[in-house]
Amino acid sequence: MITFSNVSLIYPHSTKTVLEDLSFQIEEGEMVLIMGETGSGKSSLLRLINGLVPHHTGGILAGDIEVDGISTRSVKPGALAHLVGIVGQNPIQGFVTDIVEEELAFSMEALNVAPDVMRKRVEEVLDLLSLNSLRNRSIATLSGGEQQRVAIGAALVMQPKVLVLDEPTSALDPIAAEEVLSILHRLVHDLSVTVILAEHRLERVIQFVDRIIYIEGNGETSIGSADEILKNSDLVPPIITLARALNLSEIGTSVREVRRHTDAIRNRDYREFIEPKTSNSPAILIDWISHSYGDKKALNNVSATFHHGEIVAIMGRNGAGKSTLLHSIVGLHSPASGNVSVNGQDPTRLTGAVRRRSIGYVPQEPSDLLFASSVHDECDQADSDNQLAEGSTAALLHRLVPAISLHAHPNDLSEGQRLALVLSIVLAANPEVLVLDEPTRGLDYRAKAIFGAALKEYASHFNRPVLLATHDVELVAEISDRVLFLAEGDIVADGTTLDVLLSSPAFAPQVAKVMAPKPWLTVSDVVEALGENS
Amino acid sequence: MKTADIVRFKGVSLFALIATSAVSAIGFLWPFIISEKQGHPQWIFLLATPFALLVLLIGISNKSLDSKSVALLAVLSALIAALRPMGTGAVGIEPMWFVLILAARVFGASFGFLLGTIAMFLSAILTGGLGPWVAYQSFAAGWVGLGVSLIPKKVKGKMEIAALAFYGIIAAEFFGIAMDLQFWPWTLGADTQLSYRAGAPLGENFSHFISYHFLSSMAWDIPRAIFTASLIFLTAKPVLHTLRRAHTRAAFMTPIEFIERVRA
Repeated sequence: MITFSNVSLIYPHSTKTVLEDLSFQIEEGEMVLIMGETGSGKSSLLRLINGLVPHHTGGILAGDIEVDGISTRSVKPGALAHLVGIVGQNPIQGFVTDIVEEELAFSMEALNVAPDVMRKRVEEVLDLLSLNSLRNRSIATLSGGEQQRVAIGAALVMQPKVLVLDEPTSALDPIAAEEVLSILHRLVHDLSVTVILAEHRLERVIQFVDRIIYIEGNGETSIGSADEILKNSDLVPPIITLARALNLSEIGTSVREVRRHTDAIRNRDYREFIEPKTSNSPAILIDWISHSYGDKKALNNVSATFHHGEIVAIMGRNGAGKSTLLHSIVGLHSPASGNVSVNGQDPTRLTGAVRRRSIGYVPQEPSDLLFASSVHDECDQADSDNQLAEGSTAALLHRLVPAISLHAHPNDLSEGQRLALVLSIVLAANPEVLVLDEPTRGLDYRAKAIFGAALKEYASHFNRPVLLATHDVELVAEISDRVLFLAEGDIVADGTTLDVLLSSPAFAPQVAKVMAPKPWLTVSDVVEALGENS
Repeated sequence: MKTADIVRFKGVSLFALIATSAVSAIGFLWPFIISEKQGHPQWIFLLATPFALLVLLIGISNKSLDSKSVALLAVLSALIAALRPMGTGAVGIEPMWFVLILAARVFGASFGFLLGTIAMFLSAILTGGLGPWVAYQSFAAGWVGLGVSLIPKKVKGKMEIAALAFYGIIAAEFFGIAMDLQFWPWTLGADTQLSYRAGAPLGENFSHFISYHFLSSMAWDIPRAIFTASLIFLTAKPVLHTLRRAHTRAAFMTPIEFIERVRA
């Protein structure tokens, strides 16, 4: 269906080849994952498939790409629109209309499809993606997973043979991600649609894909089945790290496979796990707060206390009230009822420099905090705001992401680099409390490890609380001490990471699923326990 | 081979622009040209201008518009149309002209013309003020966008901002005169000191018009000019920077090359 022969790509005004000598073939009805570090060229590869690169961006394309027998050299992207459907990283940016049904019909309207055909196809897609109950809803009110499904639907009405998705699950909670992936799985198996997706969260997708294209940083690219590629790659999900750490003869891509290989390890006896000591010096007090948006209750009499030196993860489905809770804590709004106090102060009353020193907040969309026209200007601004020696913020940034260019425009950075920049700026003020909203979207495993270590160091070194709202269970398992689980505006669970994650099958990390019922969340937990035992 | 260019009038469409602009200019200036006492030639011009605009837009949208130009036009038109009523129309405070002028500076005269016409039309739909005068407003706004190209490309930095602000003053006054000219023959009724009198000598009508313009609308045009120039002064640097970045990112006329192999 798709043939790349000796494809290399050089963008205009650049001498670096993004992809080098890439050759592969994708058959009809295959599901292929493209993996690679942030900035390795995954998105470029996806956009080569429908000809947007180089027809819209310019550049030098070596070699040839054929989609269903058509060379992308010879036709403009518009001529491939019926063949290749593309779903962008952030579906909400791609929506044109307000209502689900209208959105589905939009592309057909633009291409002048007959009304009866349109009606039929919209019905088909609504059924196929189980969107029927949402058909008259306003898109803005849908959850992340539902929006992603609508975006896939909008691409499917054109009945493309190829569906291309850029990070379809990275903004979703684990349950919504499962929903989206199972739909993709069904498209591949029932309709023989060829699906190509790029994704950082390998643990979510590898069990579904037939083959992996791995773009390594050094220009090498390898193509093969999931087992072959993951055996040797640097970027691996926890399940593979586990297999490697245990020296298993075979690696498996699903929980079931690895469980079979680890029977013996699980059945041994281990010393009881020692509960980590919890600190008891309250930093943030939340007392009976409620908040609603119009008729929708976002928080419902929530009370909690966060202590110094504690990393607390706030989890829950999209729309459970996580962001609202964080907004109340950082003082973006005052809750409709109840009190919040951060180190004895009311966060809504803080302003200016005092505010920067009291609460560091990284919002869901980190670029909301960036205004200058270069990374350098942003760092300078942070230095002068916080009366630091020139270059302090830049030094911090370089520790997090060494390869960043100071002259780049903040909007040209990759997601991970941008997050690191915002984090450096926020940390430059040396805040008493750090609050992060969904911080690991778009980060690869390496960036995530550095980021996790930075948070841990901040919490333990300064003995300060860190709060993060996240869907990333693997990150939570690695770094957090405590988990607060929200549902429909209520706290449904509050306890140590171990207790909360193990008690919920959907939110359990991969290692825990493999090792259940043993109380281990991460690879290092397992290795430690094994070490003590032997 | 290159990526698509930003929309430009050339060849047939350039001819269409000149022809329609000429028709529309007569539509503005007819009170000074027509000396017929009988008949109602003005009706012809009142209809000719909207039709000229329609013909021009249909012509250009048939082939010269690439998806990137459409996207840019759409976003900027929406912005301008939304900005226009924000001044609530109070004595000429229309915070739209600076965006039009700065965008035309960055994206070129043809783009400026289209942006002016489309944004004006769109804002008329949004505010419900649709009528024959909309075509006049659209054409006048289009000319404002077109005229930005009078500032030479090589003017840079502070000089550029000063030139743009100066142009803002001229444009605000130009728009004011054009709108008065369009409105004047239909207002006031006959036989006042300021009225249009069909068949009167050119000199008389002209002096009537000038008096009318100064009496009725300088109160609008002067604030509009000051407001536009100040907004350009205040915002030109960041806005030009942002628009130029968009221009670069959109990669107009960037070479595309297809080769067999990078390495031998």
